[in-house]
Amino acid sequence: MTLWLMAGLLFTPLAWAVLTLLTDFRWGRWVTSFGILVQVLVSLGLWLTIARDGGFYYGLGGWDAPLGIELRVDGLAVTFVLLTAVVASACGWHAGVYIDPDKAWHRYFWPLFWFLWSGLNAVWLGGDLFNLYVGLELISLSAVGLVALGGKAAALRASLRYLLAALLGSLAYLLGVALLYGQFGSLSIAGVATLLADNPAPAGSGLALALMVTGLSLKTALFPLHQWLPPAHGIAKSPVSALLSALVVKASFYIAARLWLEFGATIGSFAAAQLVGLLGSAAVVWGSWLAFRQQQLKQVVAYSSVAQIGYLFLLFPLTYSVSEAVSLQAQQGITLQVISHGLAKAAMFLAAGNLILSVGSGRIEALAGVSRFLPFSLFSFGLAGVSLMSLPPTGGFTAKWLLLQASLGSGQWWWVAVLLAGGLLSAAYVFRIYRASFLERPETDRFYHPPRSLEVIPLILALLSLGLGLASEQVLSVMALPFEEAGAP
Amino acid sequence: MMLSVWLPVLALMTSLLAAVVIFALPEQGYRLRTAVNLGAALVKLGLVVVMVWGVFRGVDYGVSFTMAPGVAFVLKADALSMMFAGLSAVLWLLTTVYAVGYLEDSPNRSRFFGFFSLCVASTMGIALAGNLFTFFLFYEMLTLSTYPLVVHRGTEQALKAGRTYLIYTLTGGAVLLLAIAWLQGVAGDLPFREGGHFTENDPALHTSLIGIFVLLVAGLGVKAAVFPLHGWLPQAMVAPAPVSALLHAVAVVKAGAFGIVRVVYNIYGVEASSVLGVLEPLAWLAAFTILYGSVRALWQVDLKRLLAFSTVSQVSYIILGICLFGPVGAAGGLVHLLHQGIMKITLFFCAGNYAETLGIHRLDEMDGAGRRMPATSFAFTVGAFGMIGAPPLAGFITKWTMGTGALDAGMDWVIAVLVLSSLLNAAYFLPILHRLWFRDPPRQWPHERRWGRLETSAWLYWPTLVTAVVTILAGVLASLPFSPLSWAELIVLREYSP
Amino acid sequence: MPPEALAAVVAVCLPLLYPAMALLPSTRARVMRFALPLLPLPALLLAVFSDPGWQLDMPWLLNGGLWAMDELRRLFLLLTAVLWAVAGLYAVGYLKADHLRRFCVCWGLTLAGNIGLTLAVDIASFYSFFALMTFAGYGLIVHEGSGEALRAGRVYLVMAVFGEMAILAGLLLASAAADSQMLADLPAAIAAAPQKNLVIGLLVAGFGVKAGLPLLHFWLPLAHPVAPTPASAVLSGAMIKAGLLGWLVTLPFGEAALPGWGALMVVAGAVAALGAALLGVCQRRPKTVLAYSSISQMGLMVLMVGGALADPGRAAVLFPVIALYTLHHGLAKGSLFLSAGVSMPTAAGARAVTWLLIALPGLSLAGLPFTSGALAKLAMKEGLSADKLDFALSGYLSPLMTAGAVATLLLVLRYLWTLARTQKTGRNPPALAAGWLAATGMSLVAFWWMPWQVDGLVKAPVWLPKMYQLWALLWPMLVAFILAAGALLVSRSVKKR
Repeated sequence: MTLWLMAGLLFTPLAWAVLTLLTDFRWGRWVTSFGILVQVLVSLGLWLTIARDGGFYYGLGGWDAPLGIELRVDGLAVTFVLLTAVVASACGWHAGVYIDPDKAWHRYFWPLFWFLWSGLNAVWLGGDLFNLYVGLELISLSAVGLVALGGKAAALRASLRYLLAALLGSLAYLLGVALLYGQFGSLSIAGVATLLADNPAPAGSGLALALMVTGLSLKTALFPLHQWLPPAHGIAKSPVSALLSALVVKASFYIAARLWLEFGATIGSFAAAQLVGLLGSAAVVWGSWLAFRQQQLKQVVAYSSVAQIGYLFLLFPLTYSVSEAVSLQAQQGITLQVISHGLAKAAMFLAAGNLILSVGSGRIEALAGVSRFLPFSLFSFGLAGVSLMSLPPTGGFTAKWLLLQASLGSGQWWWVAVLLAGGLLSAAYVFRIYRASFLERPETDRFYHPPRSLEVIPLILALLSLGLGLASEQVLSVMALPFEEAGAP
Repeated sequence: MMLSVWLPVLALMTSLLAAVVIFALPEQGYRLRTAVNLGAALVKLGLVVVMVWGVFRGVDYGVSFTMAPGVAFVLKADALSMMFAGLSAVLWLLTTVYAVGYLEDSPNRSRFFGFFSLCVASTMGIALAGNLFTFFLFYEMLTLSTYPLVVHRGTEQALKAGRTYLIYTLTGGAVLLLAIAWLQGVAGDLPFREGGHFTENDPALHTSLIGIFVLLVAGLGVKAAVFPLHGWLPQAMVAPAPVSALLHAVAVVKAGAFGIVRVVYNIYGVEASSVLGVLEPLAWLAAFTILYGSVRALWQVDLKRLLAFSTVSQVSYIILGICLFGPVGAAGGLVHLLHQGIMKITLFFCAGNYAETLGIHRLDEMDGAGRRMPATSFAFTVGAFGMIGAPPLAGFITKWTMGTGALDAGMDWVIAVLVLSSLLNAAYFLPILHRLWFRDPPRQWPHERRWGRLETSAWLYWPTLVTAVVTILAGVLASLPFSPLSWAELIVLREYSP
Repeated sequence: MPPEALAAVVAVCLPLLYPAMALLPSTRARVMRFALPLLPLPALLLAVFSDPGWQLDMPWLLNGGLWAMDELRRLFLLLTAVLWAVAGLYAVGYLKADHLRRFCVCWGLTLAGNIGLTLAVDIASFYSFFALMTFAGYGLIVHEGSGEALRAGRVYLVMAVFGEMAILAGLLLASAAADSQMLADLPAAIAAAPQKNLVIGLLVAGFGVKAGLPLLHFWLPLAHPVAPTPASAVLSGAMIKAGLLGWLVTLPFGEAALPGWGALMVVAGAVAALGAALLGVCQRRPKTVLAYSSISQMGLMVLMVGGALADPGRAAVLFPVIALYTLHHGLAKGSLFLSAGVSMPTAAGARAVTWLLIALPGLSLAGLPFTSGALAKLAMKEGLSADKLDFALSGYLSPLMTAGAVATLLLVLRYLWTLARTQKTGRNPPALAAGWLAATGMSLVAFWWMPWQVDGLVKAPVWLPKMYQLWALLWPMLVAFILAAGALLVSRSVKKR
């Protein structure tokens, strides 16, 4: 049973990718619809299995580490797998309606989409550093391709910039991996961690970690390495932006976080942790401010991603040399933040795409008076915004609550200011858009109602991010399930 | 008993569901929307009545589940929550009726009523919240759901007011969140409990507890419009009259005041609060706000702005009341929660009637309106005298009870505040009444509309009269069981002898 | 519920609910005026036929309501009901069509307040009715809508609101000290309270605004002349007495000797009695003169209040006297005020009779033998006689009262003089004439049938003065006549030159 699930999860996306490569856009849509169904069912099945039995290590094809590809299937990973399934299927469904099938190059959307998905699953489940790298590259390349689908010159420029940043990041990461392998002779994260626990950390391992984290931060667009993100996310097609913001940046962060949690306590230092936290805070403030200043709707959302990603890096200081309970709170908070931001940001980008479709312009001023047509998309946008503002009862709020508790509990009260200010700043840019939509202008009478299916998708995502707050205990409890140690090397 | 679990949830869900249904209805579905609105309001009122009866007999209504690690989502109905829930259920019904008439033929009605219902759902949640975390949940939801109502008109002025409103309330919310998180760190997740949690507190905690208290009051004080955090309230007056009525009378300002009551009574406990020495400064602040709001009201020329400053003043009565250490003063403060609500909503309904029927917005346009609109003007008169604290109206009962309580507590200076505030209230309300009744009407009203037999639309007419009559009855029948005063005394009895 | 209690509810609720008639369409609302004289009738029946001692317990009302009747309240109720009834009758003929509904509404509410405060025994309903009377009274004062009326109304309202607040604060302090919501418990508690002087001060000042205490009286001479004549009559006859009743039921009479407060009241009373006369004789308008006369008369009553405050043992004796004097003054003053609006018939005989009827209540005020005034004056003299009153200032009281009697008659003469110059000739509307005649009749005749003996208040037939008393009553009147005649001659000679 597990075998089938794992295989379904990792290999069928590749199969769909190849299959859609051979068809045109419309056929690709049919294939994808079926593929999405399978993926969702498989992800759900795996999640249910883990929720019932707990996590385990899984050697692919029966080969265990250090020879074969080792997968770490725990609560956290399957939660992210499920998140990916939800967001990606929403984006895929949306894209099927949203993207114009008559442009020839759009047929490449489906293969890229499926490559991205399989890369994501590989990263969530990957147990060793090199396979993670492979997954990461798969993601980066298909993401760059997706951005380039925007078609215009600006889109190509943005995608090239993105490609450059992604490659640089990969390079730094690979360098770090190489250094680590040289010192420990193992690529398995768990293996290295075991070695570290028994022996003192060798000199230079700090550099390796720093290189890896820096590379991953570049891919995650941590301030001040964020410049590539807003153009790429802003120019891409809305479903693509949604995928990129919701999932792609999270993949690199996920790896960085796992590295930190496994190695940070021994290799890392307080100063490094604080530095990363500080950069994250700067990202929150600076990203929000820039988001507030943008004139284009999607640019606002893109800069908002820069800000929201900043929160994630508070994980570093809040888990370094603190008590077990506080660390757990911080981890749970960050996990919730990843999930809720994923759902909310996807909802927001999809809704923004619908709004742009409706008013025929990407500028914020063009939204004047839109709210009188009561578009669902505006409502979804707002709901997602509530989660970004981290107001209750959304997942964003619960995340912030846990982070607040962790900050206060660890005595690092200065992060409290960041958390609170970040919420207010995000309110500023979200409500700026709202404000525009409430403005009554006599000339606003043209309004195109997009198809219902386009409107429903972001609403579902937004409602999920809302419901996450109410059900976060249930979600988190799956992550905290006991890990089946027997499978460990 | 299953019912005890489901009643609070149902009471919450009625307006939540109504909101969803209304959002989904087309703009033109006038009849259906009205039916949904009124139906939900009636059902909710029924549920609340059942719960009030149950709470009176001592039934525990409640439901809770763990929402995030360490904190629970708790809905609970105690006497205090039923006071607030009852107020919002009754006034929701009346305001809905009023709003249906008020917004006739205006655009964006679906949006309006949807958010209106959401707003009431949040109020219900605030009333039924069983711990600070849940309270905060609905408190912020209230902020969000009222914003679209404030900016409903979509004018530049409305949007500006909306921005001010958000800056104040969201910042207040952030401060409140910090305080709640800090408290959680110090003492864990505390359910609201009669008598509070810190009766025997550790002296080492005193500094943190005082700090938390200050933050809590600052966060809640924004909504309660305590000086100097009141700036949003007069600006928010650009909203349509039913919104002002509900925002000012029930939802927003009361949520703040109610929160402070919860903090003092059900988190800290009166005794602990007074041991910590936080009540006395709060009492002074409230007293200052009472006078400040009234003085500012003296200079207003716009009717609704005047009423807003009057609200600033009146809400602080509630806070002052709970700062009086003693059961009688506390009852006075609590009963004002209801009394102020019903009186202020009367006044706002009247302001709306004048605006909608005759186009009157400013005080100097009100000359002789009593001849053209006697019923509305009667209601206004009742509301104004209630605010002044003239007997036998609701406001008098408040003042009398609070005054007695202050004397019991040995805080004689409160009497001076009460008297001075009454004088100021008289100074700005009585000239209006004179204009209404004793001046000659102008030849031409600014913008007159006619509705056949009644002086204004029946949808506007009856709610106004009903609230006016309730203002009278709340005073005259103050000693009946289930009157506001009796209910406040019940709450206080349970608080002081838990 | 005993029938008296039911009657009390009706007596209060009838005028209270009567304003609802204003909701009728304006053509039908005109009939409102015909109801005016009927409104106080239940109260009148209650005052005349019910035996004091019943009470109506309404625990659901305000802070627990209790209405009851005792001797004192009965007299006040009687005065109130009679005066409002005759003034109402007068108003039927007096009122013009404009703002009729508004006037009737204010009339009904003021009346309800006045009756209610007389019956109320608990603090909250007493204060409620008091406030109702105060605020609704404003509508009666500014009814004419002239600039002067508005100014008078403003002064009235400002002072009344300050008075209300003083009363509120005083009652609150007293109620907290007594830990009771009943008026009856207040005096003892005030006497024992640490803030005794503050409470007494607040109550004296608060009710003093209504009762026209010097320096708190400014509204009176402004308001009475501008108000419609029937309203002036009830303002001066009944409402002004509400302040007095307020003192009588709250201040600590008979509980403790308060010589300081007694002296203060006596000084205030003397200043009012004589100072108001001094100002009053300089006035040109008849109703202003009457207003000052009211202040002066209230001054005499304040003398008695002062005496009662100073000597707790004497309070029990002085109370009935105050009530008696109140009744006498209320009826006489009501009749005088109503006469201000009466037009003179053209026939000489009828004119003479009319003048006589106008003058008699005035002379009664001055203590003309065989009138209620004589009875009241003698009773007052007896009550305040120096040898029975334990009070430092008691020696001054008798001359003061005599001087007051002179002042009273001077004012009455001044009133008649000014009236003669302003009075129109013509026919009176029948209701107006009936109202005035009824008032005069009440003051002169019906007074004798009133149930004086019920509490042994005044021994019958004390109203027939003995010889030595006759002289005591008459010589101040003679002095006043001589003074008036002298003034007349002087003014004539000044004019001739």
